[in-house]
Amino acid sequence: MGEEIETQVIVVGAGPAGLTAAHRLAREGLEVIVVERGPYAGAKNLSGLLYSTVLAQEIPDFASRAPLERPVSQRGIGLLTPEGFSLLCFGSRKWSSPPYNHTWVVYRAQFDRWLASEAEAAGATLLEGSVVEDLLYQEEGSRTKVVGVQIRGEEDTFKAPVVILAEGAVGLVSERARGRLGMSSGQIPQSYGLGIKEIWALPASTIEDRFGLEPGCGAAMEWVGSPFQGLVGGGFLYTGKETLALGMIVKLENMKKAKLSPQDLMEGFKANPQISRYIKGGELLEYGAHLIPEGGPKAVGQLCHHGLIIVGDAAGLVNASIYHEGSNLAMLSGRLAAEAAIQAHLLGDFSRGSLSLYEKMLGESFLMKDLQRLKNIERAHLVFPRLMDELPSRFTGLLADLFEQVQMPKQEIRKHAFQKALEGLPKFKTVLDLWKMRRMLG
Amino acid sequence: MSKEHSGQKPWEGLQMPLEEKLYRVRYEVDPDHPHIKVNQEICSRCGDRVCTFICPAGVYVESPGQPGHIQVRHENCLECGTCRVACTCEGITWDYPNGGMGVRYRFG
Ligand SMILES: Cc1cc2nc3c(=O)[nH]c(=O)nc-3n(C[C@H](O)[C@H](O)[C@H](O)COP(=O)(O)OP(=O)(O)OC[C@H]3O[C@@H](n4cnc5c(N)ncnc54)[C@H](O)[C@@H]3O)c2cc1C
Ligand code: SF4
Ligand code: SF4
Repeated sequence: MGEEIETQVIVVGAGPAGLTAAHRLAREGLEVIVVERGPYAGAKNLSGLLYSTVLAQEIPDFASRAPLERPVSQRGIGLLTPEGFSLLCFGSRKWSSPPYNHTWVVYRAQFDRWLASEAEAAGATLLEGSVVEDLLYQEEGSRTKVVGVQIRGEEDTFKAPVVILAEGAVGLVSERARGRLGMSSGQIPQSYGLGIKEIWALPASTIEDRFGLEPGCGAAMEWVGSPFQGLVGGGFLYTGKETLALGMIVKLENMKKAKLSPQDLMEGFKANPQISRYIKGGELLEYGAHLIPEGGPKAVGQLCHHGLIIVGDAAGLVNASIYHEGSNLAMLSGRLAAEAAIQAHLLGDFSRGSLSLYEKMLGESFLMKDLQRLKNIERAHLVFPRLMDELPSRFTGLLADLFEQVQMPKQEIRKHAFQKALEGLPKFKTVLDLWKMRRMLG
Repeated sequence: MSKEHSGQKPWEGLQMPLEEKLYRVRYEVDPDHPHIKVNQEICSRCGDRVCTFICPAGVYVESPGQPGHIQVRHENCLECGTCRVACTCEGITWDYPNGGMGVRYRFG
């Protein structure tokens, strides 16, 4: 027989959600254990930009200590077609100095490890290389409550009156718990984006030259158009210190239906000369992939039960609009879960009613307000494809026609160019599509 | 058993086959505990075999000369979660690899 290890809170998963929860709990003097299945925090995690508004509240001097790559002082939105391209770059002087618009390029295997060390320094205990197989339950009258976790291959039992599930998008334990506890799922099933990411090594000066950056500053670019063959999604290119992160996020349901492979889409994206010029001469250092929950607020179900709180990607808290905001929301939900757990400990009440303070605070936060604006996002894959396919080519075609040098009065050129760009487009439908899209983007 | 191919084969140019990309990924392979299993009976009746094209690590391959038989190269798995969601026929049993095993990103 193993030992029974008791603590005040157990957190499952050492991603931004779980680690922020653990940091807050430990800082407030609670005993907390974080269980992580990877050999170190971040070993399994992948993302793009880190928005740091929540982190700045939790660890105000993070910028001087965290392993950050570059602050994003310049952003770009690009359209790609087989024929041409158009690129809108924008930035602000303000973004080149603290707080750098709270937007950073980070590598999660490094960042999460650092955040874990911060949580440990605050007093949390990290248990790496351990898979939580399931939750421990206890029947109490007519209700079932969560009382701890069962770790694979471990005889010891780990018990706590509150378990915070921060498993991320794959969420096997969360799924099982929802079933077992009869927690209501969202109004619609969760849908997903598949994110693919390649890391390319290049000298810092080459990166700065290619992106037109001041030394130490960074760029984030997003691209839509022909490489993605009308699927909902797009590519990204972010600058590290001496690396570029190149990748894409494409709606899984679309890709499946169109029978397209992520490898072919990624290679198609990279083959476009507008993209390959940035990575030319580089060496591939790493390749990775991960799911992202993109169902929006209607896919978020009940997040609390007796002794249980679900946070971050496991809870479906991702803003899948043009902002791609996941890790900042994961951190916020982790912090709110910690606050609810602290309150529950003060009251000695770990019932669903008590822990649902978390859901209440979530509902009042910017997170849910942003997410609510995306309530129609699940229809995006029905509306977007036409736009994704047609708009980039029409728009870049229009620009190319406008600037093509021919012997014709400029007014005629403009007239022809606009006629060609709008040719065959059912006017009402396009306007309606754009309107729907605007609403879905929040 | 550590599988560290990183940097073994320099690849000229930017376009790359999947195998070449997977060489750059570090894994701690657990040969005795495959974390993915397929139900060959369900697979043999499966229509479009989504797993064979949707997996970003090419884990699922139709066995040559054995149509409908799915080979699982679990040691290449990036643990992204896609196949579990994409296979709607319940042909796949997917679990987390054992603690500390599987993919380990250096960047992520
Ligand atoms: C390609 C890509 C690009 C992205 N771009 C952005 C972006 O630009 N901006 C942004 O804000 N977000 C972005 N995201 C989303 C962001 O990565 C996630 O929203 C964020 O990581 C969620 O954090 P989390 O803590 O909830 O989950 P995760 O970071 O996934 O962490 C979950 C942790 O739990 C562990 N775990 C899971 N199950 C168990 C178990 N049973 N036992 C023990 N440990 C377990 C995992 O190993 C992992 O460490 C992107 C994602 C991808 C894939
Ligand atoms: S694993 Fe699923 S998708 Fe793949 S062949 Fe079997 S049933 Fe079909
Ligand atoms: S989890 Fe992802 S990488 Fe692993 S087999 Fe499934 S689809 Fe492939």
